[in-house]
Amino acid sequence: MDASPTSVAARSGTARGSGRLRTIGSPFRAAGRWLLGALTNTRRITAFSLITLATLVTKFGSASRVIRPLIQQQILRAGVRVLPIVSVLGAALGVVIVGQTVQLLLQVGQIKLMGPLLVNLVVRELAPLSASLMVLARVGTATVVELGTSRALGEVEALEALGVDPIHYLVLPRLVGIATAVVCLTVYMILFAFGFGYLFAFLRGMPMGPAEFFGVVTGSLEWVDFPLLALKTAGFGLMTGIIICYHGLAQPIRIEEVGEATTRTVAHSVVACLAFDALFVPIYMLL
Amino acid sequence: MKGVAVSYPHTPGTPVLTGVDWEVNAGECWVVTGLQGSGKSALLETAVGLHPNVAGEVRVFGGPVAAPGADAAAQRRRFGLVFDGNGRLFPGLNVFENVALPICYHGNQSPEMAAPQVNALLEGLELTPFADVPAGRVGRSWARRVALARALALRPEVVLLDNPLIGLDAVHLRWWRGFLPQLISGHPLLGGTPRTVVIASDEVRPLLSLGHHFALAHEGVWRVLGDRMALERSEEPMIRELFNGTG
Repeated sequence: MDASPTSVAARSGTARGSGRLRTIGSPFRAAGRWLLGALTNTRRITAFSLITLATLVTKFGSASRVIRPLIQQQILRAGVRVLPIVSVLGAALGVVIVGQTVQLLLQVGQIKLMGPLLVNLVVRELAPLSASLMVLARVGTATVVELGTSRALGEVEALEALGVDPIHYLVLPRLVGIATAVVCLTVYMILFAFGFGYLFAFLRGMPMGPAEFFGVVTGSLEWVDFPLLALKTAGFGLMTGIIICYHGLAQPIRIEEVGEATTRTVAHSVVACLAFDALFVPIYMLL
Repeated sequence: MKGVAVSYPHTPGTPVLTGVDWEVNAGECWVVTGLQGSGKSALLETAVGLHPNVAGEVRVFGGPVAAPGADAAAQRRRFGLVFDGNGRLFPGLNVFENVALPICYHGNQSPEMAAPQVNALLEGLELTPFADVPAGRVGRSWARRVALARALALRPEVVLLDNPLIGLDAVHLRWWRGFLPQLISGHPLLGGTPRTVVIASDEVRPLLSLGHHFALAHEGVWRVLGDRMALERSEEPMIRELFNGTG
């Protein structure tokens, strides 16, 4: 072995050089790892979505006396029980966004912009996102814990042993329940936001009757806003539901990993909803 | 099973039990014994197709074990698996709903429609007082009996029981020791038809009178021991230890 000072220096120089390279390369490596992880997750979630879709098609209507009550239960859980908090959020959104926007437009003498602005802000963007995030926070996290615990304790295998398809029995009702809830809660949130927003603006001296106010707002809606809103909110609900069920159910999980799965669910759902939301921007720009 | 190796679900691909050459014929009662962690539960779950085998071939009812899907459901309905511990009941459902679930799901029935069949099972297994109790609140000994009722709900041809007698009190132990021979020879609840029964157990002595055949899973190796006489005659230390264990 060559132990001369030169070779040691050369070696240490090389080591320093490679260390520097490592330092420079580490952010790229981390970014690469993150990207690969994101792609892997996307691929797995897509595969899970396709399996769920296949189950929906092949088992549509089968065991309806078992599945229908479960869907009703999930709509009650994700929709009806979340209604009070969504009402409060809608009222807050009304005061903060609608009320203040109207006040501002009155101050600058641009009240004619009120309709398009409020439709863009509330109907197209804030209400669908807020409703889906609220469902994610109130129901999604609990569902991941519930499914993850079931998986960790072997209850999913018990279902399979009985010939009961876990996707059919556990995933589909939750998916339908969450998607329906997000669609309906968005409509409620829009109504509450405009109602409370008008009230706030009226109390602050807006010279406009309720009929005129709601006439301006509805007049700014395009017919295509209705199917797009339904598509967007159903998309939010389905994506959130798929991600929730994927993290809770689709892969082997230990009981101590359930918390981490819940955190991942929230992060992935938020990213997925925002990415899906971005797809609608070009469509709205054309309107 | 021919040359089968099985693994635990959380360590797929890592065999816990290898070289399983095993043929179970209709109407037989097999007792698979071995220490805890020897792979008995994994073997039962692999046999019904819940987990893929690491190596070898698994055939059930004359055909290959089904992959997940519609065929798997049809095949699994012919098995009744009672899991160990609390039987992996569904804690969100009560006892009645746990037993009714497979009947309702496969028969597309409402709980009311399934009630006569479920109530007969609950009555036959002395579970009627617990019908409305959430499964999560039922004691372990009773929970295992509920798991048995759930496994029998679809009148399976093969009943697999994972450690059914472990940790039972004297009353429950007596009940199980009375019920299992009836299950093998044909219980009235199941139309009096004899069933094929496979019991995995850490203890072999309480099951001596039941088993037609005995097998041992030990240190990752599978061995068919033979009948009761062969078991009693064996001088192998491990078998003597299991034989003389706590029974």
